[in-house]
Amino acid sequence: MRRRRFLTGALGAAAAATTAGAASGCGNLHSSDPDVLTFMFRGSTEERDVFARAVDVFIRRTGIQVNLISTSVDQYATKLQTAILGNSTPDLFYLEPTRTMAYVTNGVLADLSQYVDETDLPVDDIWQAGLDLYRFDGESIGTGPLYAMPKDVGPFSFGYNKTLFEEMDVEPPDPDEPLSWDEFLDRCKALTGDRDGDGTTDSWGNSVNITAELHSYVWSNGADWVDEDARTVTVDTPEFAEALQYVVDLREKHKVTPSINESEGLDGYQRWLRGQIGFFPVAPWDLTLYRTLDFDFDLCPYPTGRTGTSATNVGSLGIGVSANSRRPDRAAELAMFLSCDPEAQEIIVGQGQTIPNTRTRAKEWVKDTSIEPQNKQEYVDIVEDYGHFVPTSRTYTPEWLDTFFTNIQPVLEGRQDVGEYLKATQPVMQGFLDQGYDQLRIDQEANS
Amino acid sequence: MSATTPVGPAANTPPPAALVRSGRRHARVSAGTRASGASRPPGRGRLTRPERIWGRIFIAPPVLGFALFALAPLLFSCYAAFTHWNGLSSPVFSGLTNFRTMAGDPQFWQSLWNTLFLMIGIPIGLAISLALAIALNRRMPGRAAFRVIYYLPGVSSVAAISILWQWALNGDFGLVNELLRMVGIDGPNWLAEKTWVKPALILMGVWKGLGFSTLLYLAALQSVPRNLLEAAMLDGAGAWRRFRHVTLPMLSPVTFFLVVTGIIGGAQMFAEINIMTPTGGPEFGSATIVWYIWQQGFQNLKLGYATAMSLVLGALIFLVTAFQFYLNSRNVFTVE
Amino acid sequence: MAATSAVPTAPLQTSGVAPDAARRRRKKSERRFQSPADVIVFVVLCLGAFTMLLPLVWMLSTSLKTQENVFALPPQWIPKPAEWSNYLRVWEAGPLLHGIVNSAIVSLTVITVGTVTSCFAAYAFSKMRIPGKNALFLALLGGIMIPFPALMIPTFMLFSKIGWVDTLLPLIVPGLFGNLMMVFFLRQYLMSVPDSLIEAAVIDGANHPQIFWRIVLPLIRPAIAAQVILWFMGTWNDYLGPIIYLNSENVHTLQLVIANFNATYAVETDYPLIMAASIIALVPVLAVFLVFQRQIIESIALTGNKG
Repeated sequence: MRRRRFLTGALGAAAAATTAGAASGCGNLHSSDPDVLTFMFRGSTEERDVFARAVDVFIRRTGIQVNLISTSVDQYATKLQTAILGNSTPDLFYLEPTRTMAYVTNGVLADLSQYVDETDLPVDDIWQAGLDLYRFDGESIGTGPLYAMPKDVGPFSFGYNKTLFEEMDVEPPDPDEPLSWDEFLDRCKALTGDRDGDGTTDSWGNSVNITAELHSYVWSNGADWVDEDARTVTVDTPEFAEALQYVVDLREKHKVTPSINESEGLDGYQRWLRGQIGFFPVAPWDLTLYRTLDFDFDLCPYPTGRTGTSATNVGSLGIGVSANSRRPDRAAELAMFLSCDPEAQEIIVGQGQTIPNTRTRAKEWVKDTSIEPQNKQEYVDIVEDYGHFVPTSRTYTPEWLDTFFTNIQPVLEGRQDVGEYLKATQPVMQGFLDQGYDQLRIDQEANS
Repeated sequence: MSATTPVGPAANTPPPAALVRSGRRHARVSAGTRASGASRPPGRGRLTRPERIWGRIFIAPPVLGFALFALAPLLFSCYAAFTHWNGLSSPVFSGLTNFRTMAGDPQFWQSLWNTLFLMIGIPIGLAISLALAIALNRRMPGRAAFRVIYYLPGVSSVAAISILWQWALNGDFGLVNELLRMVGIDGPNWLAEKTWVKPALILMGVWKGLGFSTLLYLAALQSVPRNLLEAAMLDGAGAWRRFRHVTLPMLSPVTFFLVVTGIIGGAQMFAEINIMTPTGGPEFGSATIVWYIWQQGFQNLKLGYATAMSLVLGALIFLVTAFQFYLNSRNVFTVE
Repeated sequence: MAATSAVPTAPLQTSGVAPDAARRRRKKSERRFQSPADVIVFVVLCLGAFTMLLPLVWMLSTSLKTQENVFALPPQWIPKPAEWSNYLRVWEAGPLLHGIVNSAIVSLTVITVGTVTSCFAAYAFSKMRIPGKNALFLALLGGIMIPFPALMIPTFMLFSKIGWVDTLLPLIVPGLFGNLMMVFFLRQYLMSVPDSLIEAAVIDGANHPQIFWRIVLPLIRPAIAAQVILWFMGTWNDYLGPIIYLNSENVHTLQLVIANFNATYAVETDYPLIMAASIIALVPVLAVFLVFQRQIIESIALTGNKG
């Protein structure tokens, strides 16, 4: 197929293209055969390989043809949006939870409930929280018809570099008992130092990726981004300020995190990979890479603020089916296949990109000591117990949260006061949140 | 030239010929229209009929293309800008809401400001390329090679160049900081710091656009009539005065052309930004207006709002260009 | 300006051919420095040229490094070992070949067809009697002033309605109708062609397509060359159009392919691979440029002169 297209293309070019039609290629989104499914997804090169292999199993088993369209992570969102706007929504596509409300309201997503009821695949075995994330009743997320299958749930767990802890002679964290913020700070201080004695710091306690990790500090301190029904932005509370201040101080005051200058070129992630960071998030999608590193690592709960309990966010990607799909039944079958079929899960989980998507499989996986890290139970605890979904999955548009992070740099660098920033940002965020709800109302009217 | 591609989408660059009203024998635009109209008496029956038919056939494609791909979209823009429109459902009329949102949208103003700031590269580029052109106008070995080398970045693709510079501006391992280190300066992490991201983009733009403007200046310099310079010399004018009063005025059409295209191109800067700082840069420090329009339209599905912003951008470009033409026409009179 | 300030009928000749000959004759005198000042200027120009080339050399150097060597401090200028295999890996790592083919399809189609339509239109606008043509021409001039971003969204929706998103058609079709810039430029150029030439042909019984092919086309060839080259580089290097319209990898143009390389492999810090891909993307245009550099530089000068 590819080769033929290439040949037609080359011929067209050679003929200096007298007619436009002859020379213009068509993308995979245009398959003339309604029985061929198109599936648009994203990921690193390995992830794309893994999913392509899982899809191959589906093709072999059902005889249904599937065209794959894959993009890098950064470009996926716009690529999908333009495909949808361009009237060529793929039959299946990865769905970011933040888009669920908008896509359902505007009739982009097909309701999968019926197919879930009919299938023989073990859909009920999938994490309940993962499924609920894609239910939408027209007003709020969590109830109502199901609009996507969770491709995965991604518990954003904390972890640590065992080797570095031994080297610096620091007591490793307990896998079950979370550290308090003070204890955490003490360990971080003990981990920060100059190992090779050349006068510059070359190991640090931790390194905070603010967009991914601030949630944990905020939640475990009893604060939140929005109130219960996600109508009011609540970043101007003292608990919130305390959490943000704690994170800022880790670097600016206690210097247990690489400074701005030190993170030039080699950011926290790169330094962690080089074994210079003590505590760092260990998300499932990073496991393949982390297992190849020169040091041992394991999972531990996030340190706790005022509430005394850990918290962190659970990411997820869904696989949605286009409302315009000509074969929604088959598309739904593939979505369910990828998210819970044992053989597909074997391929996907086997590569270490994700935790098992079904509870039964997860139980075995946690017990298997041959798979690093040892404390995999932490992932299950996060999904079943102390994880939260990111707040934007409950709102109509994600901009209100984006705006918080766009201008946060001066705060992180200690150039701007935490309280001041939060006070100034709250109304802006609230504005965007309100705009989102206005938009929801307008879109609902336009589509009714 | 500025931080722009000298050869952007061709339809965006204004007609160079229209720009000149200098004291040359034929002022181009008006002379042109007059020449064909006036020199030939109007239709002479038998001969003109096929001429009209063929003429209409010949001009049909661009006129049709203009109607389909410029006029129709423009008219639709004028409607869509006043609607709430997410592209998935039909537009809903919303009056001036989009424009009101725009007025209160800090990111809109920020991106407009960024776009303007990046245009600092235009005068910098012009000054350097004028100096280069003057240097190249001397007789010396290797002139042809210099012209090729200086223009090399200009022909390279924006995507490749942006990728190259993204890497060259890397805080720890980049070329720029490596060079600075040689002279004992500890360079910043250019693309990650609000203060430095714009200068970095300007640097890259100047580097890329230099060759094009140098070539144009060189061509203009070579056409300064020698006898004019000699006459000035006989009148006792020194080198500086000759340059200031003879050469420079002769270069003004080229400068005008470069400034106008530079501003139009600079106002539409997108590729560099999207490749080098895919999220709009530190604290939104490098997001240009076209990037913001693209992001709002295709990422946040605010097509109505994005259209409204693009109309404002179009109007701004139009006004600035018209103003330049106005200034230029006045300027030429004072020179003459 | 060189061309236009000469005798009105001359530009057609001088712009294309004469300067070359003149240059060749002059060349000998240019091989020697005339004064010490020239030597200083020469040295400064050399330094400048060095600065201009440095980033490109750096790119080449990075493309030959191993992934670890990229992060060596101080950076190596001549990579040891030179990792030529990067240039083999790169073809496997992304649809580079597709990109080259697609870019070629788009630019060749647009330019061949578009040039023909533009030439005909320029001829008609300058030399033919059509009622209302000046008003039309002014309207088209206004069209040049509308920046693409202002039209981007409605145009996208137009193409999406007819199902052309994710095909090369939206990049090709508008160009087939001609390039207003080119029409304008050629029209100006044709203004200096005496009307009598065409009238004589009309009286001899030639029809207009014939006149165009036999008389007009040969006259404006250098001007066409200038515009074609500029247009080619514009189309080949276009990024905004492709990023909006193209989703699937098999229709990506070269610019998108390398931008994707950047997005995909930067995470894996595979800079050598990214640089190798970018170098490959640069080569076709650089080759065209180096082979035709004299013509290209002259045609750019011509653009400026006309202005």
